[in-house]
Amino acid sequence: MFLFKLMSYLQGYLLILVTGSAPEKFVNMSAGRGIYLWDITRVSDSAVVMKVHLRAVKPLRHIARRTSCRFRIKRRVGFPFYLAWLKQRKSLALGAVFFVGALYFLSSFVWFIEVRGNDRLGVNEVLQAAAEAGLSRGTPKWRVDPGRVEANIGEKLPLVSWTGVYIKGAKATIEVAERTVPGEEDRRPANIIAKKSGLIKEILVLNGHPVVKEGDTVSQGQVLVAGAIPPPEEPLPPGGVKKPGEKPKPVQPARLVHASAIARARVWYEGYGESAVIETGRRLSGRSETRVSMKFYGKEIILAGSQNIPYELYEANTLVKRVPEWRNLNIPVELITVKYYELVDYKEDHGRAGARGIAWERALADAGSKMPPGARIQEQWMEDVSTGPEENVVRVKAVIETVEDIGEEEIINP
Amino acid sequence: MAWHDYKKKIKRQFSEFLEIPGDVMLDLPKIVLVGNIKIFIENHRGIIEYTTEKVRVNVMEDEVAITGENLLLRNVLPDELCVEGKIKSISFL
Repeated sequence: MFLFKLMSYLQGYLLILVTGSAPEKFVNMSAGRGIYLWDITRVSDSAVVMKVHLRAVKPLRHIARRTSCRFRIKRRVGFPFYLAWLKQRKSLALGAVFFVGALYFLSSFVWFIEVRGNDRLGVNEVLQAAAEAGLSRGTPKWRVDPGRVEANIGEKLPLVSWTGVYIKGAKATIEVAERTVPGEEDRRPANIIAKKSGLIKEILVLNGHPVVKEGDTVSQGQVLVAGAIPPPEEPLPPGGVKKPGEKPKPVQPARLVHASAIARARVWYEGYGESAVIETGRRLSGRSETRVSMKFYGKEIILAGSQNIPYELYEANTLVKRVPEWRNLNIPVELITVKYYELVDYKEDHGRAGARGIAWERALADAGSKMPPGARIQEQWMEDVSTGPEENVVRVKAVIETVEDIGEEEIINP
Repeated sequence: MAWHDYKKKIKRQFSEFLEIPGDVMLDLPKIVLVGNIKIFIENHRGIIEYTTEKVRVNVMEDEVAITGENLLLRNVLPDELCVEGKIKSISFL
């Protein structure tokens, strides 16, 4: 049926109004002569409307005369008529053709260039290197040679290890992969100092002069490995006594280096936590109610939800939506959505042991928050904090022992 | 007329014996009704009357009358016909 409609539209058809005493005869004779008629509708006692193909209209005149009917064209539908209409509006047709042509012409240029994958490299440097090889904004696509652009970028920018240039539509994408270049080594003389207090467990000196040894207790800021290496001591001559009259050798200055070492130490973190044995308070019950209202010139109209808040204790969350102001136009309508969350009083008896457990969790979390992220926990224990008489609160102290690198570089000021 | 009836009877018996469909052998109309909205008539011999309430179609010696509301002839071919609308009754006159 769709195909038939499409064909009819392409070939063109007419809506004709047939009047006469017997339009049935007209229809019969047309059908008998192979003229296809469709959608035959009676509009009045002596008139029938029907559709007929454009090319079948001429023989209809003959049939109309034979059956003493008259027909009049009511409407013309289809592509041939549209074409005729377009012929009278040549500039419109020309404009459409021009538009398509312009679109096609303009789409054969590179209008956008995107640079991807650059991290340390600036976009402008890449674009400039691409422009030298003939890829810039407004270049016709057929003049761009992606291979040449890729080669030029690789040549001009040594930081780039690989380049890919793709053109899709009016957009060119330059994808670069950067080389990782080893960073400049820091050669300034430096000490390794302790970041925090602790007990040195092991110390591995890569460069510098160790000042502390394993098992030493160090405090924050103390030098662990010195950047100044003292000159080797002169072995005393046999006999152990300096010969009189011998000139003392000139004292050689200490050699300054950039110390580096791994200094693992045991570090302790303390945290405090407490918990009530019988806990009372308020918390959300999980029930909530939403009220949507509209505010109009200070008057509030409730659209959805009840007027009275059904909870004794509640927490409200208000969201106001309004039309943004534009120039001096101000629309005085606000949509207010209020969400009420019910609160309930509760009283919970944890028991002494339960409260201790909760306090322990809190103390651990407190101590853990002071720890650096990569630290390895070696041991952890709990200490009760007694406050004399028995009360409703259990207080607990948690201690975490970790082993971590506490070394930190400190530049020696010349 | 007797001779005509006799010939018809022989034809019908022959087609029944060979199980040939009546619309082929005897030139009978084939009427297909789709619910009460659409009716196809094959093997018709022309339209006698068409109004929005009534359509009469000539078929071999008989006449088929369709009554209903808002009837329209969807298409008319030399031997096929399609009527659409709200069909109320079909009768042979």
